[in-house]
Amino acid sequence: MMVAVLAAMSLALFCGYAGRRGLAVGLFVVSLCLAIGLFLFEIYSPDYGFRMPWIQVDAGGPMRA
Amino acid sequence: MDTAFAPEPRARAVALFNYTFLLLVLAVVAGILVAAMAMQYLKGELPCPLCLLQRVAMLGVCFGIVLSLRGGFSYRYTGISLVSAVFLLIVAARQTLLDIYPRPGHAYIGSAVLGMHMPVWSVIVALALLLAYAVEMAVLGRAASLDRVGIERFPRLQRIAGGLCAVVVAIAVINLVSAFVQCGLGECHTFSYKLLS
Repeated sequence: MMVAVLAAMSLALFCGYAGRRGLAVGLFVVSLCLAIGLFLFEIYSPDYGFRMPWIQVDAGGPMRA
Repeated sequence: MDTAFAPEPRARAVALFNYTFLLLVLAVVAGILVAAMAMQYLKGELPCPLCLLQRVAMLGVCFGIVLSLRGGFSYRYTGISLVSAVFLLIVAARQTLLDIYPRPGHAYIGSAVLGMHMPVWSVIVALALLLAYAVEMAVLGRAASLDRVGIERFPRLQRIAGGLCAVVVAIAVINLVSAFVQCGLGECHTFSYKLLS
């Protein structure tokens, strides 16, 4: 998946460099969509989902001086 | 772009400032990517998946600039760079929050630079990019002639831009090959290069 993301971005950059702007923007959009999907896959945990309980504080608890 | 259009001195100066700004941003982001690659290849610090995604986001910032430098300035391309900068901020902030509290299996990957690890630096880079673009738009946003004065009006700047854009394309291709050797066609891990082990 990471290879697909970087391949699409590399091709987008090459097309942008070579003056094929329409194709370049299309490839960029493909790369961005793949990257967003990969990001969500990487941060998802079977135990916590997308939550991060290790940095949660007891917001509902009593205030301490 | 209207090549027969003869810009007035003020429009020319504004365009020169704009292209110089883009070139500087491109040089800085390319330098950051080269530094990250140097740490990978010279110090043997393999990038994690989120680190690689941050590189992709930085390449996206470069992509918007390459389009403006090669095909004429457009705020559409600035938008592409801004979207990429926001994506960089999201990925870097999430990775910072993942590793900010030490727990089994989770720690910042790689060595610290000036006391801060790569994802923290990425947050700073993303915020600096967003701030730089905001200032640029605040200063030049009303200049209607920006997209009418092409970079070919500044031959020396055009040559430098062409060379730097080629370097950015090369950086992307090197990262592609490197990611293929590290990850193959599957998931990425930081243990070793999958195709070399």
